[in-house]
Amino acid sequence: MLQAPSGRTREILADATFRELVSGRARLRWILSILTLVMFFGFIALVSVAKAALGTSIAGSALPLGFALALAMVAVLVVFTGIYVQRSNTRFDELARAVKRELGR
Amino acid sequence: MIARCLLVALGVAFPSAALAQGAPMVGGRGPDWIAIAMFALTVAITLLITYRSAGSTKSKAGFYTAGHAITPLQNGLATAGDFLSAAAFLGISALVYANGFDGFLYALGFLTGWPIVLFLMSERMRNLGSYTFADAAAFRLDQTSVRLVAATGSLVVVLFYLIAQLIGAGKVIQLLFGIDYVLAVVGVGVLMILYVIVGGMQATTWVQISKAVLLLCGGTLLALAALWHFDFSLARLLEAASRIHPKGAAILVPGGLFAEPVSAISLGLALVFGTAGLPHILMRFFTVSDAAAARKSVFYATMCVAYFCWVIPVLGFAAAAILMPEPSYFNVTASGQFNKIADLIGGPNMASIHLAHAMGGPVLLGFISAVAFATILAVVAGLTLAGASAVSHDIYGQVLTGGKASEHRELLVSRIAAMAIGVIAVLLAYAFENQNVAFMAGLALSVAASCNFPVLAMAMFWRGTTTRGAVAGGLAGLVASVVLVVLSKTVWVAVLGFPSAVFPYDNPALFSMPLAFLFVWLFSVTDRSARATREHEAFTAQLIQSEIGTALAGDQVSLAAAGS
Repeated sequence: MLQAPSGRTREILADATFRELVSGRARLRWILSILTLVMFFGFIALVSVAKAALGTSIAGSALPLGFALALAMVAVLVVFTGIYVQRSNTRFDELARAVKRELGR
Repeated sequence: MIARCLLVALGVAFPSAALAQGAPMVGGRGPDWIAIAMFALTVAITLLITYRSAGSTKSKAGFYTAGHAITPLQNGLATAGDFLSAAAFLGISALVYANGFDGFLYALGFLTGWPIVLFLMSERMRNLGSYTFADAAAFRLDQTSVRLVAATGSLVVVLFYLIAQLIGAGKVIQLLFGIDYVLAVVGVGVLMILYVIVGGMQATTWVQISKAVLLLCGGTLLALAALWHFDFSLARLLEAASRIHPKGAAILVPGGLFAEPVSAISLGLALVFGTAGLPHILMRFFTVSDAAAARKSVFYATMCVAYFCWVIPVLGFAAAAILMPEPSYFNVTASGQFNKIADLIGGPNMASIHLAHAMGGPVLLGFISAVAFATILAVVAGLTLAGASAVSHDIYGQVLTGGKASEHRELLVSRIAAMAIGVIAVLLAYAFENQNVAFMAGLALSVAASCNFPVLAMAMFWRGTTTRGAVAGGLAGLVASVVLVVLSKTVWVAVLGFPSAVFPYDNPALFSMPLAFLFVWLFSVTDRSARATREHEAFTAQLIQSEIGTALAGDQVSLAAAGS
């Protein structure tokens, strides 16, 4: 596997579809990872600096703000994974298929 | 105390209150035949699964990965089953019962690891490896040294996690079914060795799937029954809980667990990146056909874990609201006094179990007890298999014999390793019965976050990583985690008996993880050897395989031809 002929490797690297696949996936991967981490560690930071504010109830409900935020965060994390999977299933798998089709010839 | 509770809940589920009491049977209701019948049924079903899987373990692919033939949905459930331990089910609901909102935050930390596993690990891992995560870590690096570091990291994580789980299992089973601690630990040990030796990954997977389904159904049933009491209003449930709880309305706001930022961030790092470095979780991605299937399985697993993140706080708060007014669930003194947290019969970890009794009598109690038991079995089986494959595939198969060992011999080694790991873990669980083992699960997660994760992530994503860097970084993370945990309060004070801790935080990840990354970088950029140059060049081939490797099941053959 490692000893792929270098001509072949160069050909794949230069391939526009392959480059689109790599850069598109990398962008989505790193954006979503950073958002996830910022959200979680941001929430932890919020807990240590604004504890009291998280205890206040949201208008018209008995649910404290911190609680609502945590529940929402669970949902947002699932949506993030959903976005990544959806985008990969439709766009990136398609691109990978195209790269292989081109190279298969 | 709070910090210790937290660490204990991390791995097992046993604050010292439960250790000290050791009262057989929840609530002292005498042998509960319904619970014991369901327990026997659980064992019987898992053994049937194992027996039926026996034929599939004759090849390496069959034994380690169930022939890469598990579907994404099945693997998603199995992965959730592998991950959600008794710590998640009993421990986090106990944490919510005792501390309220902080327990919820903790669950959130467990969940946050999953998107990271999906974005960074699952697809590349599947494309680059076949059996263990060391395959992917050592893909373009030195097969001997990098694999040895990865296998060592795996074994340390597996052993500490396994011992912590087994001790918890012994205690839970003792309380649930009135079986003696030693018998309970030996029983679980024998079962997990049997699953792995006889049924390999196939049996382990189906035990985990059954457990995940049981846990989801049981948790949902219990949460619905509890919410029904409060007209399905979460606000009303929280209000009732805060009215009766000794900490009052303080349980609805963040408390002491995450108050101190350094400890909180360190714990957060261990929870998030530890999940992304657990060998038994990473191994699950090889059971599916390709990277797309691996990605889909993480999605299903994330949904299960997220769902549990919503259910578990409901159980904890409901247990507080419903159990605390009832003295019959507590060890009441002669004067009629009891502590609403520490005096819960069996300790706070039994909160969900008591809640089951309060909601549905002996039948629901029996069912939820069986669910807790199945939860334990699935996790220890996954850990044993991951440990055995690190020994047989990585250390014996690649390091010692350079990949030249026959399949038959490697599988023999694997079974001997599973037996040895099982026996060692049972012996240590027996030896540590009355010790404070709060540090073990925390150590397992920090090693996963500080050794396994940095080596794997850098090898897969950074062209500049060389063998020298990966080995130095992995060892630095491993050694730093172990040393800092030993110097922290959980070992230095609680186990070794020194008056004050040298390292002031409970979790070392904030220090050990960056150290590992720093070492990988430093020892890679200063590496001017010819081997380093070759490894840089090989990154291109690795990148291509990690991107389009086995992205499509049907094209594997043509791709293999294209790549060779």
